Amino acid sequence: MRLYVYCLAEGVDRLNNTLRGVSDAPVRIVKFEDLSAVVSDCRPEDFQVTRKNALAHHEVVQSITEQTTPLPARFGALVTVEQLSNYVSTHHQAIKAKLAHVRGGVEMNVRMIRTITRADASQVPENENVPGPGTAFLLEKRKEILRAEAGVDRKKQLSSWLREKLGDLIKEEKISIVPSETVILARADHLIERVDVQEYRTKMGKAVEERPEVRFMVSGPWPPYSFANIELEFSSQFGVS
Amino acid sequence: MSDFDQIIVGEEWEGAELSLLETLDHVLNRGLVLAGEITIAVADIDLIFIGLNVLVSSVETAHETLRKREPTE
Repeated sequence: MRLYVYCLAEGVDRLNNTLRGVSDAPVRIVKFEDLSAVVSDCRPEDFQVTRKNALAHHEVVQSITEQTTPLPARFGALVTVEQLSNYVSTHHQAIKAKLAHVRGGVEMNVRMIRTITRADASQVPENENVPGPGTAFLLEKRKEILRAEAGVDRKKQLSSWLREKLGDLIKEEKISIVPSETVILARADHLIERVDVQEYRTKMGKAVEERPEVRFMVSGPWPPYSFANIELEFSSQFGVS
Repeated sequence: MSDFDQIIVGEEWEGAELSLLETLDHVLNRGLVLAGEITIAVADIDLIFIGLNVLVSSVETAHETLRKREPTE
């Protein structure tokens, strides 16, 4: 038997009795001193990667988020009691620091889609009249570097524009840009205070009006999935390479 | 909590579909990574497949939406 882990949190002592998790299993709390892990019992052979289970995972995390801001685990965290205990004890300080950082917060996401214009395309030269494979290779490399540089510039521009529009509402921000041949897809993840959700929506609504060439999608509030990870090396912890 | 409160792109998309895509994106691609995930390594292909499908279908649908809106020259 393993534990399926939904999230780690502080100050969660009771759960809704009707709460069901992956594989329709009852959800319970495992206490580690001042930290709580929200889990359900699960046999590895019974665990399935299905939409239903992914949504059940989210439902549990969401219900905890109504009480407090947890650190949501990524879908599929199936561990033994010893593994979980070892993980919490060895990362206790980092978990506490992360929980303190997200406390009272929620995640908002903005997706932006813009068609690539001729001006965008001209920043990356086409390889025409290539004399040989060596030159072609170098030109292609140059093109890749220019694309990467353009991506970094866009990230900076976007970040500074969003900060200008949203001001001090942003506690933490993560921006990713995925250019394709025809569109630029950008995503901004923001950690904000719960109490600021309405103000965030209002400010984003105004910002959107200023950029008619860009299509926006704003979603949230979410549990802080994008801000939960502890940037440490775990791979060797359980002897996994 | 996860409802789309403001959808400015792609009115052709249903709010529920977007909400589902966003939920799956969060659950599958984000969150605290525990080492225990290795126990479902056999399912990694499925996880990656679902994740890519979500992303690709989102981009493709968005592109199609934009294309339809472009004024014809």
